[in-house]
Amino acid sequence: MNNLKTIVGFTFKNKVKTKSFIVTTIILVLLVSAGVNSLYFIDMFKGDNSASPTDITIGVVQDQAGVTEGLEHYYAKQTKPYLAIKRYESTGNAADDEAKLKSDLASKAITAYLVIENKENASFPSFVYKAGSISMMSGIMNSLESALTTVKTEMIVKDTLTEEQKKALLAPVAMNTEQIVVDSGSAGTNKTDDQRGVAFIAVYALLFLSFMTAYMTGNMIAAEVTAEKSSRIMEILITSVSPLSQMFGKVIGMLLVGISQIAVFIAAVVVNMSLPHNAAIFQQYNIDLTQIDPMLLVYGLLFYILGYFLFAVLFAAVGSMVSRTEELGQAVMPITIISLIAFYISMFSISSPDTMLVKVASFVPFTSPTAMILRVGLGQVAYWEIWLSIAILLVSIFICGWISAKIYRTGVLMYGKRPSWKELRKAMKAYKI
Amino acid sequence: MNPLKLEQVVKEYGDKRAVNQINIEVGRGEIYGLLGANGAGKTTTMRMVLGLIYPDQGNIFYNGKAYSQELNSKMGYLPEERGLYPKVKINEQLIYLAQLRGMTRKDADQSLKYWLDRFNVPEYYDKKIEELSKGNQQKMQFIAAVIHRPQIIIMDEAFSGLDPVNVELLKETVKEVRDEGASILFSTHRMEHVEELCQNVTILHRSNTVLQGNLKDIKRNYPREQVVLGTEGAVNGLDGIPGVTSVDRTEIGYRIGIANEQAAQQILTTAMQQSTVQRFEIVEPTLNQIFIKAVGERHE
Repeated sequence: MNNLKTIVGFTFKNKVKTKSFIVTTIILVLLVSAGVNSLYFIDMFKGDNSASPTDITIGVVQDQAGVTEGLEHYYAKQTKPYLAIKRYESTGNAADDEAKLKSDLASKAITAYLVIENKENASFPSFVYKAGSISMMSGIMNSLESALTTVKTEMIVKDTLTEEQKKALLAPVAMNTEQIVVDSGSAGTNKTDDQRGVAFIAVYALLFLSFMTAYMTGNMIAAEVTAEKSSRIMEILITSVSPLSQMFGKVIGMLLVGISQIAVFIAAVVVNMSLPHNAAIFQQYNIDLTQIDPMLLVYGLLFYILGYFLFAVLFAAVGSMVSRTEELGQAVMPITIISLIAFYISMFSISSPDTMLVKVASFVPFTSPTAMILRVGLGQVAYWEIWLSIAILLVSIFICGWISAKIYRTGVLMYGKRPSWKELRKAMKAYKI
Repeated sequence: MNPLKLEQVVKEYGDKRAVNQINIEVGRGEIYGLLGANGAGKTTTMRMVLGLIYPDQGNIFYNGKAYSQELNSKMGYLPEERGLYPKVKINEQLIYLAQLRGMTRKDADQSLKYWLDRFNVPEYYDKKIEELSKGNQQKMQFIAAVIHRPQIIIMDEAFSGLDPVNVELLKETVKEVRDEGASILFSTHRMEHVEELCQNVTILHRSNTVLQGNLKDIKRNYPREQVVLGTEGAVNGLDGIPGVTSVDRTEIGYRIGIANEQAAQQILTTAMQQSTVQRFEIVEPTLNQIFIKAVGERHE
């Protein structure tokens, strides 16, 4: 027990002191800070755009129904129009009209143009938007669509309705969503839109942080074990302490390294968010970190630690089989792939956290830590499911830890080329492990 | 009761026998020599003593008891292939290693300072291993093996790769540790070190014990097969004497190989008849010769 503490302390102290660790952490803190500030910068640039006169011009050829005038009228009424309409007189020949539009598009006189297609038996024409570049297209399309809807309403109702009635008709329907806890045995809280948004950010951050730090520290464990083996200090270590304390001392030491790293990141986020310029922006977007469900953070930490242990013991076992640092990258590949799969299952399902895939993944060891964080944060999950998942993880950690300890005990004594499974089993037998 | 005793110990890797029924007993304050060519089974034997691998047959007793984890704090190990953390400061890693062997931080620090002073390099306390020369790295490795004052020390090729000055220095310290009562199992290729340090030896060859016992007895019992002869003038007809196997002329006289000791008397008589004898000695075989003979015979 005393030895375990000594190893944990030594591992932690030596890792945090290394230049590479400090540099990586600083770089990541800078990235995190940039991420937090990005909202402010985006907003700043957007603010500039809306203040300046628009430079988006859409060319439209005069039509008989009067859609073109309607559009012109719509944008002329706005104080800050998103785009400008340039009207072209029709020559009567559609091909000539389009040729003129094309040449103006080429000379950048217009950003894009709208072709009006009159259909028989239709009360309103359909449109084709043509542009050379699709940048900013979704913004333009949104604006044009609402403009055209207004024009269409105007054309159909004409003067049968009062201005108030028209306004009421055109006003969008207000609808907010609220995610509620259906079953009393489920984890989580009722969430309004804003809370859901914050939970979304929190889950995203948790997934990302836990994956990145667990992956980094896991790799560090493997690298350290291999380094100890290749520098031959392993022979002294293994005659001093039992391999089990050695392995778990390293794993726990690295866990502390990972948790301190996460703490530094969180501190960076909190500090950045409370800077005055950012605080205003976040308020504007209704992002309030105090809205995060504290249970999500508790489960997040719990699953992070469990997931970390499961991967860490495997990293240690792989590290013990490799004699030279150069071979390590290749050797840890299978674990890397598994951890990437676990990460991406959750990342890709973040907007649909209740699919069968996520449900299954939340019980499979290796994928369950990330999938469960996702379900707790955004999906619907019963308490018994969480505890079952934790129980499965604990059993897997125990089994993997036991196997890894055996591999570790054997692997550290085997030098030369990386042993195959068969050689490893033979060696285990010979060493009576 | 001897601190370390191996009884009929056998280790097999698959169908290959790495160590075949070895018996060793190391007393208090003794340096026991374990000799053998590469692959003879020395390292396997040492690893079994260290408890890294378990014997398939036979027993190893430490102060009369079987192996247990508690022994780790009483054993020291100087591995053949040297290794410490290259980028960690000497004081941090050596104190760490001593702590793992059950020492308190304070005692370990004191012991480290004592040893650094003993090697006249107290300034290394704050240095990193990678900043040291190879010889000095080995001194640190040696300190790592003895810092916790172990009762049983395993030294695999303790002096390999050292210059003569450092060999002398380390030899003195090994003797010092021995005189404090440690039992040292010592393996080497260098026979002159064994002759200087060890009372008892075991020579291993291809997993088997080929020669074992008190070094003086071994030498006494080994046939003396060489005569050194110093005379004023030349002596003729030496190679005609029955039992003489070879005659080499040297600066001071002759070096004559003999098959039996009767031949030596004849050589002396012959020499006295022809010249004045200044030197005559039936030379004891060196351990080197014994080793080559013991191992070489089985090489055929």
